Amino acid sequence: MRRYERLVVAAGALGLFLLWEGLVRRGAIDASLAPAPSTILDALGTLLRRPEVLASLGVTAWEVLAAFLIAVPVGLGLGFLLAEVAALDALFRPLVNFLFGVPKSIFLPVFILMFGVSIPQKIAFGVFTTIFVLIVGGVAAVQSVPRELVTVSRVYGASRWQIVREIYLPAMAPILIESARLGMVFNITAVLLCEIYGARDGIGYRIAAWGENLQMPQLYAALVVVAAAAVAVNEALRRVEARLGAWRQRA
Amino acid sequence: MTRPLLAIRSVSQRFGVDGAIVPALESIDLEIPDGQFVSVVGPSGCGKSTLLSLVAGLRIPTSGTVLCDGEPITEPMPRKVGMIFQEANLLPWLSAVDNVAFPLKLRRVPKAERLAAARRMLELTGLAGFESRLPHQLSGGMKQRVAIARGLVQNPAVLLMDEPFASLDEQTRMVLGDELLRIWSETRKTVLFVTHSLNEAVYLADRVVVLSARPGRVVDDVIVDLPRPRSFAMTSGERFGALKDRIWQHIKHAERR
Repeated sequence: MRRYERLVVAAGALGLFLLWEGLVRRGAIDASLAPAPSTILDALGTLLRRPEVLASLGVTAWEVLAAFLIAVPVGLGLGFLLAEVAALDALFRPLVNFLFGVPKSIFLPVFILMFGVSIPQKIAFGVFTTIFVLIVGGVAAVQSVPRELVTVSRVYGASRWQIVREIYLPAMAPILIESARLGMVFNITAVLLCEIYGARDGIGYRIAAWGENLQMPQLYAALVVVAAAAVAVNEALRRVEARLGAWRQRA
Repeated sequence: MTRPLLAIRSVSQRFGVDGAIVPALESIDLEIPDGQFVSVVGPSGCGKSTLLSLVAGLRIPTSGTVLCDGEPITEPMPRKVGMIFQEANLLPWLSAVDNVAFPLKLRRVPKAERLAAARRMLELTGLAGFESRLPHQLSGGMKQRVAIARGLVQNPAVLLMDEPFASLDEQTRMVLGDELLRIWSETRKTVLFVTHSLNEAVYLADRVVVLSARPGRVVDDVIVDLPRPRSFAMTSGERFGALKDRIWQHIKHAERR
């Protein structure tokens, strides 16, 4: 974005918050449902100083990270297998396609029965929700590798390992990172859903509790924190993707 | 007579397609001396590209042998044989100079050395100043020049060209044809040049090998006795027309079947 555009966006956001603040102060918006931005900011400052809230954020971050670190290599690995082994593909592709399209949330009660209301349950459900986008991404990444480039490398004497390192990896990198980024979106959603649905800790658990007790400033402050974290992760991965995939731009 | 650089000895190639066996090449015998520029023409699907892939070592013939410098080709021999395809097939994430250096990288030539060699080749192919461009920043003709530079970077004795100019426009292919002749006269490679264009075949080559429709057999082997350097004016000359006509008679006959 150019500097001018940034200024416009910043001014727009600021204007919206000022409008919101003004409407709440004049009583046009019910402050018990939508507290003024200044109140939320205040609550945010208090929350970030409470150790138990920080601990909850840590629990959620750990669940999200663990699920991600399991789902990405396993999912991509399964995707590579499906792409390279025709028999496995024939066997499992219908199942993967079916589960890819089904909303994963309907399986949440099953995970609670299997793992109890626990951190492993959150991680398992996060992995389950995330893994399909990575399997499909892994298949797409392998299929995106131009066969002609493999032939060229063979003519120039590349070994199997050199073909993997010099052709497959760079050709697949942008799609792999993109899959990981999409997976992360699903992953965060899944873990928070688990925590809101039933948990003993985690920021989702606190958001649910604040909501039930109508503690709206805390609820909104937590939303700000979660949104900021999710956007930061997403943007970071997007930058990596843009850098690794710069060659994909058309002139 | 000196030993031919490339010898194709009673080579046949069959493919299994859906359980049926399709013959692609039938008893091909060719001897190509060092430094000769040979065009290969023939009707569509006659196995011209298959012949090149055998010389490239990408497949092994069903029967017969292909010898390069007396040595049977059973796998790609990157130091003896360079290959250029219809599409430039550059690695899109590498700059022009890194693409040219790629075959050397596969052989683990030190970086400074391989980049220096690649720069020399880009200079030879008229691309000095474009070293750091990515493929998508180059025109079709320039990409093909990079591919030629990559084919030459290991100084192979043989250059295989599989319709290298077929996806370029008419003017670009004429310019590149002349460029190729200049490079060839400077490097004296043995060239095996597959093309659909009879003009191109006759204009570039010392000799035109004509294959029949599938299964491909050698039906004619025409010596192009036009003087070098070739010039555009020759293409409207009587001798050029007579050579082209002789080749066309074979192909016309085959395409009509």
